[in-house]
Amino acid sequence: MHIAPAKFPCLSAILLCCVVGMLTIMLIPQERKRLMKQVSAFFSGITLLLALYVFFAYDKGLGGLQFVENVQWIPSLGISYFNAVDGFSLPNLLLTGIVFFTGVLTMWELETRVKEYFALYFLLVTGVFGLFMSMDLFFIFVWYDVSLFPMYLLIAVWGTTRKEYGAMKLTLYLLAGSALILPAIIFLWAKSGLNTFSFVLLTQPGLFSPEAQKFTFLLLFLGFGILAGVWPFHTWSPVGHVAAPTGVSMVHAGVLMKIGAFGVLRVAIMLCPLGWVYWAKLMAVLAATGIIYGALVGLRQTDLKYVIGYSSVSHMGVVGLGLSTVTAEGLNGAVFQMFAHGVMTALLFSSVGYIYDRTHTKLIPELGGLYRIMPVASTFFIIAAFAGMGVPGLANFWGELVVFVAALRTYPALGVIAVLALVVTALFMLRVVQRTFYGPGNERYALLPDVSLSLGIPRIILAAVLLILGFYPSFLFDVIQTASVPFMSGLPR
Amino acid sequence: MNWIIAGPEIFYFAAGLFFLLATFIGDGSRPRKTPASRVGGWAVEILAAATCRREHLTALFLASVGILVCLVSVGSEGHLFIRAYRVDVFSQVFKTLISLGLFLIICICGGITDISERRHHEFYFLLFTCTLALMLLVSADHLLSIYISLEVSSYSLYILVALRKNQSFGLEAGIKYFLVGTFASAVMLFGMALLYSTSGTTYLTDMARVLPGIINRPGVVIGLLFTLGGFFFKLAVFPFHFLAPATYQGAANQVAAYIATASKVAAIAVILRVMAFAGQGSVYLVHILVVLSVVSMTMGNLAAIVQKDLKRLLAFSTIAHSGYVLLGILVLSPAGYSGAIFYALALLLMKFTAFMVIVELASDGRNLQIEELAGLHRRSPILALALMVSLFSLAGIPPTIGFAGKFLVFVAAIEKGYIALVIIAMINVVVSLYYYLLVIKAAYLLEPAEPLPPLGVSFPKKLLAGASTVVIVSAGFYPYWLVQLAQTAARALVWSR
Repeated sequence: MHIAPAKFPCLSAILLCCVVGMLTIMLIPQERKRLMKQVSAFFSGITLLLALYVFFAYDKGLGGLQFVENVQWIPSLGISYFNAVDGFSLPNLLLTGIVFFTGVLTMWELETRVKEYFALYFLLVTGVFGLFMSMDLFFIFVWYDVSLFPMYLLIAVWGTTRKEYGAMKLTLYLLAGSALILPAIIFLWAKSGLNTFSFVLLTQPGLFSPEAQKFTFLLLFLGFGILAGVWPFHTWSPVGHVAAPTGVSMVHAGVLMKIGAFGVLRVAIMLCPLGWVYWAKLMAVLAATGIIYGALVGLRQTDLKYVIGYSSVSHMGVVGLGLSTVTAEGLNGAVFQMFAHGVMTALLFSSVGYIYDRTHTKLIPELGGLYRIMPVASTFFIIAAFAGMGVPGLANFWGELVVFVAALRTYPALGVIAVLALVVTALFMLRVVQRTFYGPGNERYALLPDVSLSLGIPRIILAAVLLILGFYPSFLFDVIQTASVPFMSGLPR
Repeated sequence: MNWIIAGPEIFYFAAGLFFLLATFIGDGSRPRKTPASRVGGWAVEILAAATCRREHLTALFLASVGILVCLVSVGSEGHLFIRAYRVDVFSQVFKTLISLGLFLIICICGGITDISERRHHEFYFLLFTCTLALMLLVSADHLLSIYISLEVSSYSLYILVALRKNQSFGLEAGIKYFLVGTFASAVMLFGMALLYSTSGTTYLTDMARVLPGIINRPGVVIGLLFTLGGFFFKLAVFPFHFLAPATYQGAANQVAAYIATASKVAAIAVILRVMAFAGQGSVYLVHILVVLSVVSMTMGNLAAIVQKDLKRLLAFSTIAHSGYVLLGILVLSPAGYSGAIFYALALLLMKFTAFMVIVELASDGRNLQIEELAGLHRRSPILALALMVSLFSLAGIPPTIGFAGKFLVFVAAIEKGYIALVIIAMINVVVSLYYYLLVIKAAYLLEPAEPLPPLGVSFPKKLLAGASTVVIVSAGFYPYWLVQLAQTAARALVWSR
């Protein structure tokens, strides 16, 4: 594998930016809310620029690990501070940057406990960034938990519907996931006998016996799968989505669930490939069930955020299906879908957040005819909904297409069922769009203002990303290929 | 004999003596001419002036000097009292931890209202005596010296618990504590007698040679187990746990903090010493410890869920933490020992931080209910932050020192193949997070029924809260030096066998 050390520690700079941003916000006096938002936008903007730089400076011809920073952390246990990016983590890093920045802008109208909100939000994103760039299992676990525990307060303090219940459920579920991950990681460390948590050293083929791989893969898959919203461990996710404030919903559905899928890919699949091959069928069945279940339950929801929550379960099922095919195409499609779904849900939550802040309701029966009142806000939602349906010309189309092609080849029966479920998804998305934005309007909302340009910026960015990727998917696929093809060719058959 | 190596003990003995003399001289509330001062001359005058109303500052000064003395003595090694008393890196590290614990506790004793003012000298005298006894305990290398130092520390604590002004509360807790404590020491004495009758020696070092051959004989297993029972009482491990909640609830907040920190650290040390010397190779003993560990953590965590009183909640969480520590000890490997040593340090810091918030918030010394935390984030952001960080650390969420401790213990356990045990422990971590989150929710989410004024936290207290928060987080993020310290201590423990 090609390993290129970083000339400038860009990845650490991203983390540092988040931490410094958090500390700066904590030092600003309580009353200066506007300044806090400006500082947040500034620091999150820098991280987005850095993420963009890393994304474009990554040499696709060479592939492998680039921007490597490796410092011994606790030598006696083989823990090192090891950051790098490869084709799998790059799209996620960029996604985090985009959602982070747009999430800050989306919460521009926040007035209650602004300081604590943005401080916790920065802490959360620090964990997310750290997880995507870390190449040391110890740090992967640390970042995983760092990205979880701010969620409790973020949802419980600033959330809406059943917020305390949702926050508690989410935190406990995700911590239960980490309860499976930590023993599995230490088990791999002990089994390898190398006294290292370094991902690169532990991925040497033949290091772990097939039995050890099967056992560990199951623990890791379940542990990270809870966070990825794998059916039947998804129940925390719609509840959490609904309860969370808009910006947190965006990060939560847009990025946090990707951590789970990324963890399955990075830790479970890449460290225990034999376990992956062994359990692939189980993964496929769970993923397909998730796709169908999410679509069917979503059909019956009346709360806009629940609709998005269940569509997330369904769409993350597509990611899971891609990962379960044991093919390079499946991995490509899965990682692409992770990115596309992240941007799409962020846009959906962002639009619903705008509508909710004005109308103070998320219930579909109480809305209606919104397109006449706020056409721009409605357009954003409709673009995202169309992306969710897999309409060509938007990013999700490619992710779903590639995954389904790979799935039909590997698991014909499951693939057909999953494709049929897409029709249901399209049906419920169209139903939501029709009932919320068309038809008779509610007179109460007739005088509400439409999205102003400044508030529209985050939504414009997200919609633009969806469109660009819809027309030019190789922008991402080229990068993902650099990781998936070498990994699959190195897989022992 | 080289007395210099017993520097810390001599210092704390002198400090205890100082407060003992002070109790004879003044009653603390007002200077009084006693016959002693007329006869005693200038030394007693100075003593009286120094202690009158300034006993807290004096104690603080003595405790901080004590830390220095302990730090200086870290390198020293040797034996005292016909080899019944061993000074090595292991014992000195623990002495430093205990002296740190005493210092921190005295820091929050400034405005102590729960112990009547004329008892303050006795209070500090007992604190110093207890600390001295704990230090003797971590160095004890002989069954008798262990027993004596354990008793001295326990008796100091019985009185400290009973000193609380609210008579019924304190006395009840003190008597309960005393009864269970004496029962535990009786069990321990019986165990020691069994050990002597089977091994023919009372030195731990000799046992390390004799016992491996006969370790699985019933007499030895029962003897070891009963001996450990006395220490389990100190650490609040199942089945000696049930007095802990009542004691914490009945004792003054500061005393409860002392029991939860310094006394636990010493208990961990002595269990480590006995297990490392005498417990090698015992299958039955390890099985029993596995059961005790699992039951302790599960029961402690489940019982903590329903608690309304913050101190009771912390008491049950202490029981759970004893289970985690035991996990590190029962693997009987240097990695496990160093994990347990690190865990002792972590417990000291996080329990102290949590108790500091209790002491500050309940300035009149009452027992704090969880709902009384409502609005804390507005009344004192720094205390709310300290509480949150300490609770997350107790739950073992990275990047905190509590996580580093759990991680080290789990690594040692899995290395020896106890993966099922670690999964059980991790499930317990999830359970424990539930009740810690309830406390955090009260501090950050609930609003008090009527608006309460901001808390006037003094600057040194703010500094202390901020410093402990920073230490908990930074030591969790970069624990390298502390891990090395723990490993050095663990190596000393294994070598000296």
